[in-house]
Amino acid sequence: MAADPLARLADRQHSLRTTLRALRSTPPGSPGFHHLLTTTNDQVEAVMQARRELEADRLTIPNRAVATATTAAALVVAVGWFDAWSLLSLLLATATAAAVLVDPAGREQWEPRARTAAITAALAATLLTPLAHGWAALLTAAGIAWWAWRTHR
Amino acid sequence: MNIDPLKALEGKVELLKKELKSLEARVDDVQSDASQNQLSQTNLLRDNTRRLTRTDDRVAELAESVHRLERLLVALNRKVRAGETRKADFDHWPDLDEDLIAKILHGQDAYARRPQTPQQAKEIRKAIAEYDRRAAEAIEAAEALTHLPPDAESLWRKHYRQWRAITTRQRPEAPDDDTHAGDSAAKSAGNEAVARARRQIRARIEDAVAHDLLFPAWFENALGPAAPPGKADVWLYTATDVVLYRLLHGITSPADALGPAPQDEGHRKDLHDRLTNECAEHRRP
Repeated sequence: MAADPLARLADRQHSLRTTLRALRSTPPGSPGFHHLLTTTNDQVEAVMQARRELEADRLTIPNRAVATATTAAALVVAVGWFDAWSLLSLLLATATAAAVLVDPAGREQWEPRARTAAITAALAATLLTPLAHGWAALLTAAGIAWWAWRTHR
Repeated sequence: MNIDPLKALEGKVELLKKELKSLEARVDDVQSDASQNQLSQTNLLRDNTRRLTRTDDRVAELAESVHRLERLLVALNRKVRAGETRKADFDHWPDLDEDLIAKILHGQDAYARRPQTPQQAKEIRKAIAEYDRRAAEAIEAAEALTHLPPDAESLWRKHYRQWRAITTRQRPEAPDDDTHAGDSAAKSAGNEAVARARRQIRARIEDAVAHDLLFPAWFENALGPAAPPGKADVWLYTATDVVLYRLLHGITSPADALGPAPQDEGHRKDLHDRLTNECAEHRRP
């Protein structure tokens, strides 16, 4: 098995193509169809898994970097533009950043990119906090909602 | 005789007083007699009630003893006969082969199956066409998954969803145009097989009765030691069905003729309930 995630994806896509050729030549009513369908489904799942691993591999560093930036920005904003009401937004952004730092890619199929969206929203909210104060927390909440929707749908 | 009228009157009053006293004494006597009588009657009644209760208890005890004796007698009778009587075999039927049993079961299945209407067949065909269309779409989607670049997430999602649409479904069974004709054939073959099996089983039971053979324990447990007087034909009918039921459903228990009641509703459960009731009827004294 290929060690490089991209090569692994290509490898599994190739196996899926081969199985699909067999599936195409079998009419749906024939006895072997169901078994072939199950095999193909396993192959499709393998391809999806390979794609997820590739994406997780690609997004781990950017997600961590954005999370670190968010934490730093939250500290700067908290000190430079101190306001009790703004703390809500900053704390929420810091919590999101902590979650992404600990696990930048998650475990679910579509989670790596959903986490990118959530942490980007948290960074944007932190940067907006001096202007929007506590209301910027809504942006982080929207990012978290987007993450939940994309991951669990 | 007193010549003074006043004295004479006093004398009469005295006389009347004496008579009144004697009357009072008599009334008292009668009253005490009556109360004594009542007391003795009550005591007698109480004694009789007590005696009656004791007799009732004794009768109940005797009835129980008679029942015990009756059962003992049946068991004893069996043991005595077992020693010297030939046993009837209702468990082995070399003539009723597996093919015949299968025919009967197929016939029962055919009766249980609901006939398919043309409308239902049309709907099933429509569902199959829909499934095939979705299968083609899903295969196209899976084909697309083999070429997609890793970044195109929305396309990956779309095609993956299209593929999943087929894996969670089952293709309906194609409606068989010959089902109806096949069912009719299975029903008539089943009826013939049942008639043949019944004839053979009944003949063997009649033979066992005629030669006074010892019935198997499960048979006696279910149907009693012999046919109830005047009901031999009904008893034979039930006995034949019990043996056939054991044969069809592979019941081999040496004590329980019908085995445990089936869980699922259907022909077998109906038959089991009917035979249980009929056997209980035959066992009733």
